[in-house]
Amino acid sequence: MKKYLFILAITALPVGLVCAQSPKDAYETIVDGVKVIVQPSGNGIVEIQAIIKGGVQNYPADKMGIESLAMTALSECGTMNHDKNSFKDQLDKVNASVYGYSNKNFSVLRMNCIKNDFDTVWPLFTEALTQPKFDAKEFARIQQDAINALKESESQPDAAIDKYANKIAFAGRSYAEDPAGTVDIIQKLTPEQTAAYYKGILTRSRLLIVVVADMDRPALEGKLKTLLDGIKKGYPFEFKKSFFRSYQNTFSSEPRDLATNYVEGVTSGPEAGSPDYDAFQVAMRIFANRHFLEVRTNNGLSYAPQAWFNAGATSVAKFSVSTTQPDKYIAVFDQLVDKVKTEGFKPEEVANMKTTYLTGFYYKNETNFAQASSIASNEVIYGDWKHSLQLVEDVKKLTTDDVSNAFRKYIGNIIWVYQGDTKKVNPLLYTNGTLHKADNPVSN
Amino acid sequence: MILRFTKLLLFCFAFTLFAKHSPAQVRLPDGYYWKVLPNGLQVVVIENSKVPLATIEIAVKNGAYTEGPEFSGLSHLFEHMFFKANKDYPDQASFLKRTQELGAIWNGTTDVERVNYFFTFDRDSLKAGLKFMNAAIRFPIYREEDMKKERPVVDGEFQRGESDPYFQLWYAIQQKLWGDLVTRKVAIGIHEVINTATPEKMMVIKNKYYFPNNSLLTICGDVKHDEAFAMAEKIFGDWANSGFDPIQKYPIPPFKPLDKSIYFVKETSIAQTPYVQFSWQGPSYLTDSASTVAADVFSTIVGLNSSKLQQALVDKGLASTVSLGYTTCKYVGPIDLFVVPNPNKLQECYNELLKQVGMFADSNYFTDEQLKNAKAILLRNDIYNKEKPSTLPSQMSYMWCSTSLNYYTDNTDNYQKVTRADIQKYLNTYVIGKAMVAGMVIKPELSKQVNAASFFAAK
Repeated sequence: MKKYLFILAITALPVGLVCAQSPKDAYETIVDGVKVIVQPSGNGIVEIQAIIKGGVQNYPADKMGIESLAMTALSECGTMNHDKNSFKDQLDKVNASVYGYSNKNFSVLRMNCIKNDFDTVWPLFTEALTQPKFDAKEFARIQQDAINALKESESQPDAAIDKYANKIAFAGRSYAEDPAGTVDIIQKLTPEQTAAYYKGILTRSRLLIVVVADMDRPALEGKLKTLLDGIKKGYPFEFKKSFFRSYQNTFSSEPRDLATNYVEGVTSGPEAGSPDYDAFQVAMRIFANRHFLEVRTNNGLSYAPQAWFNAGATSVAKFSVSTTQPDKYIAVFDQLVDKVKTEGFKPEEVANMKTTYLTGFYYKNETNFAQASSIASNEVIYGDWKHSLQLVEDVKKLTTDDVSNAFRKYIGNIIWVYQGDTKKVNPLLYTNGTLHKADNPVSN
Repeated sequence: MILRFTKLLLFCFAFTLFAKHSPAQVRLPDGYYWKVLPNGLQVVVIENSKVPLATIEIAVKNGAYTEGPEFSGLSHLFEHMFFKANKDYPDQASFLKRTQELGAIWNGTTDVERVNYFFTFDRDSLKAGLKFMNAAIRFPIYREEDMKKERPVVDGEFQRGESDPYFQLWYAIQQKLWGDLVTRKVAIGIHEVINTATPEKMMVIKNKYYFPNNSLLTICGDVKHDEAFAMAEKIFGDWANSGFDPIQKYPIPPFKPLDKSIYFVKETSIAQTPYVQFSWQGPSYLTDSASTVAADVFSTIVGLNSSKLQQALVDKGLASTVSLGYTTCKYVGPIDLFVVPNPNKLQECYNELLKQVGMFADSNYFTDEQLKNAKAILLRNDIYNKEKPSTLPSQMSYMWCSTSLNYYTDNTDNYQKVTRADIQKYLNTYVIGKAMVAGMVIKPELSKQVNAASFFAAK
């Protein structure tokens, strides 16, 4: 069950996933044509992630949800050697995790255990990855659970508004697809279909392995070789990135019987790996601070004003609030954007954010899981896992103009979505755009 | 002169109060160091050099349990106001600017028996960070205009909760489980009280609870304990002791046991899928600490995939998840059995749930191997829990507020000592045959379709 603890602020940590260990400790190697990245952890916990690249690029819209269901099935529908119960019971005995999940950019099968339990957990991890059974009875169970989970996420306002924003902003692109699928699609999937789909994406050409643990290198590589030998090579895979820009401000709404109203905006952002990428990350972090100060502190308009850079195959900037005064919010927001566009950020804001990045560098990755996730997303999305280690140094080199200009360049027309009391909002205020005073003004 | 004398007297009193707690009596894990300052402020330094950061936290024995109806939600509002203005940083803009200069990651939380404030920054900023914390905790400024802006923020947090169907279920259960004393268990409070709060009410809270002898300062990270203690003493050493134990002076009234089970079905259009929860009044650390430990072991047993509970509900497809949990409290912690049922088998799921609870009394409800496995899980949890240094202060201070430092230190070992008899005693005392609150949140259409009220009711 959930426990209610009331927290001062929902805070977004400094973006750009980073690692606590020094770059010299981490290394990459190739095993059977698959890139393996190893980050020593300095603790007694083992985290291994097998990444299958592609995400929504791997399936058509009418099959969305299939990859997520397949990844769940790996640990929930038995393997050729273990039925579901014996598989899970073995994990329980050593309090270890083996499970799969999917996002828009890639899927992961993850194992996490205490180092002394590695020999118990590793065979289960490899079986799940390479010999899943897709047992029909268990499949029917996880299918129902997936439908339940979809409905649950629709009931969670923060998840629901983000899903709605993605659907509207990315309409017509594969990035609009929800990895969790839809109820209609999920209930039609069969175990055979899903197993066949999984077989198709499990290729060495799509795989990446990330290890965060203190392990003997030859022994680890030997185990990985045995694992990867059983996986087919597959056709070369290219992770495609696309740029997002809206050519007009739009406003879409859905009535919902909520105690407050949820607003989210989506606009452009630099492609991962492009020259503006780091500067824009810093710009959005500083903007998030200003957004918090103006929306919450100075105007008391929202408990949870947020602004963040969402990097992926399609990278975008997002803004969100829950508020009972949506029209006042958009006025404050427009002024905030306009001020940055006309005056830029202050040098001390950029200097302070560099210090915050340093704290975030260590803070965010105190756990092996966070480090592995950082390496995986940087490798898949940015195209270079070392970026996760070099970010702090790269950020130090940025000037105030770099950061201000990145904001000016990408913050343009915004796709706004709204869920709540539709009588409380004036759509025109959202589609009017900012005050047209900037050198790169936002216009309809 | 009189003032100085009074201060001295208070310090002496504080020393007497805390002389009973000599360092030899406090047990802590390796790398943890404890000290009580003459003013009664307990300080724990956790040396952990995994990353070159320092985390500082002040935890105060305050929260919902100290609130009667007229103050319901104000410990939480107070926590928000901590981050607003103080003598060194007279408005929130300058406060936030200082956090940015320090590169700090920060937050605060309000719970039933604890309010805490924490900052993480570079290890070299420890002294500056402690000074920053000192100004905020001891010298806050409450202005009407600041409160006017913060009240809707806190109320907005409440409204976000109310927009979530699980919160609606949880909130309704609390009203029924705790009756007249519900404000002592719900930190989010009452809308009207939040929206009419005044600076005077903030001062009332400060003058009741915000004293060194009701607080724990924790410094964790890449620090040396002797240096950290010296800094803490220099910065917080002149924080005056209250001269009284706030929790003794303003005692927590006893919670009245439920006299009969209560069932309710809450219909809301936002519940896309139903949730069910059974809640009981569980053990108190003050009166039955052994059962607080046994509770966690039993919850872990029924969380095992092999357990009768998981097999009957999740394995058979009657529920997506089922979990049992006890929240450790000094004053009556809740025991919650939460289920996400399969909406197509709602009644079947509910009947099985009742059957399982009825079977808790069977001596063979779990096997010796399951007991052993649960203990093995709890042993490893201790390793996982210690992985992230910046969370250590919060984990420890929760226990300091609701139990004791020794309880925190011995918890994992004590799990290993739990017997079947301990678990049976816990279940017999708090669950088996005891009154509970059973709630279901459900969409009106589904409720009508399955006629939820017809079966989800006391028999």
